[in-house]
Amino acid sequence: MDDVTFAELDCDGAIAEAVERVGGDTRAELLGNAVVGGAALLGALGLSSRAGAATARSDVGILNYALTLEYLQSAFYTEAERLGAIGGKLADVPRQLGAVERAHVTALKQALGKAAVPRPAFNFQGVTEDQVKFLRTAVAFEDLGAAAYKAQASRIKSPALLAAAVSIHSVEARHAAWMRYLAGSTPAAAAFDEGKPVSEVRAIVASTRFVVARPRTSSTSRPKHTG
Amino acid sequence: MSLRRESTATETSLDRGELFARALVAGGVLAGGGALVAAFPRLAGSAPSAAQDRKILNFALLLEYVEAGFYEEAFKNGKLTGDLREYVSIVRGHERQHVAFLTKALGGAARKEPKLDFGDATSDPQRFTDAAIELEELMIAAYNGQAVNLTKATLAQAAKIVSVEARHAGWIRAIAGKNPAPDATDAPKTAAQAQMSLDQTGFVG
Repeated sequence: MDDVTFAELDCDGAIAEAVERVGGDTRAELLGNAVVGGAALLGALGLSSRAGAATARSDVGILNYALTLEYLQSAFYTEAERLGAIGGKLADVPRQLGAVERAHVTALKQALGKAAVPRPAFNFQGVTEDQVKFLRTAVAFEDLGAAAYKAQASRIKSPALLAAAVSIHSVEARHAAWMRYLAGSTPAAAAFDEGKPVSEVRAIVASTRFVVARPRTSSTSRPKHTG
Repeated sequence: MSLRRESTATETSLDRGELFARALVAGGVLAGGGALVAAFPRLAGSAPSAAQDRKILNFALLLEYVEAGFYEEAFKNGKLTGDLREYVSIVRGHERQHVAFLTKALGGAARKEPKLDFGDATSDPQRFTDAAIELEELMIAAYNGQAVNLTKATLAQAAKIVSVEARHAGWIRAIAGKNPAPDATDAPKTAAQAQMSLDQTGFVG
């Protein structure tokens, strides 16, 4: 955590990109036709629409931010399951958490459609094969996931997306308690859980150095058909 | 923003919320899919407001009173040992703080503590464990179900409580040897559904 530099944050392309979408809206144009408008959804629900398409853009940003964190978690547990080195009291963890986090990725990708950020490349540097480091990382990831969703909940404009996001938020908290229980730390350390803003989450993720490369964004141009 | 862009955005937005909900359902969670969608029609005409926040928080306070009373009695009975003893000694403090927080937030509008009767659920370890799981999961579902009905400021506060309830649920299930998070999402309950679940416990006299 203490050795985070801007250069390291730079290599963390996917997070940075998602963050920009949450914070500013400068990249919103890139989303093109996939930009969501909250108005129709609110209308369909019989709610008044106070905000227009700008609202929806921020929701897309938040979903992409969540998707990036879910990519990280799902890749971590999926790799641990594939390598098969995590055992003992943790034997079920890679499979069970992997399945849940993959379901979150799938749901977010489907919701985002073309606007979904691509999966970054990861290098877990042996942590997925090391019982002690694996568990410590799982605790950190799940606490982080809960804190990240929490800080965004009140910023989500679309009721449907909010309902879905909070239903994931509490599952991340269950995971955090579970991993802490296995690690021998108090599963619920305080009466109130604080959220973490994007900047903090981003710094923590960058400090792990697990995100090694900015993903290749799929090109919108197609190869010329010359035949 | 051009008109054209706006109408395109409008067309896709409905899909997105629905797709998210459906994907979660198809993802195996399922637990909540129906409720998630079924909850929407009830939102009509109930836009978040301070008055509505008070109603919701008062219902949350009722649930927190039940939990706080449950753990306090279990702690005092002194029949729980090991992991369960540690659990109850920490969690009772959390629930007491939740009650205090909501009571303060509601001020003069806060409801009084209900009459509670837990039978042997606060002394028999197996019954205690089952009841604790039921209560914690009821809390999660009730808070999740109200997220869309709260004003944003109150939602931000409630979110700090609901994940602690979720941690309790994960913790007690781990102690019980059950999967702490069996579903990919936690299904919401409407206020009426939560009230029905509470009634079924028979704890509130």
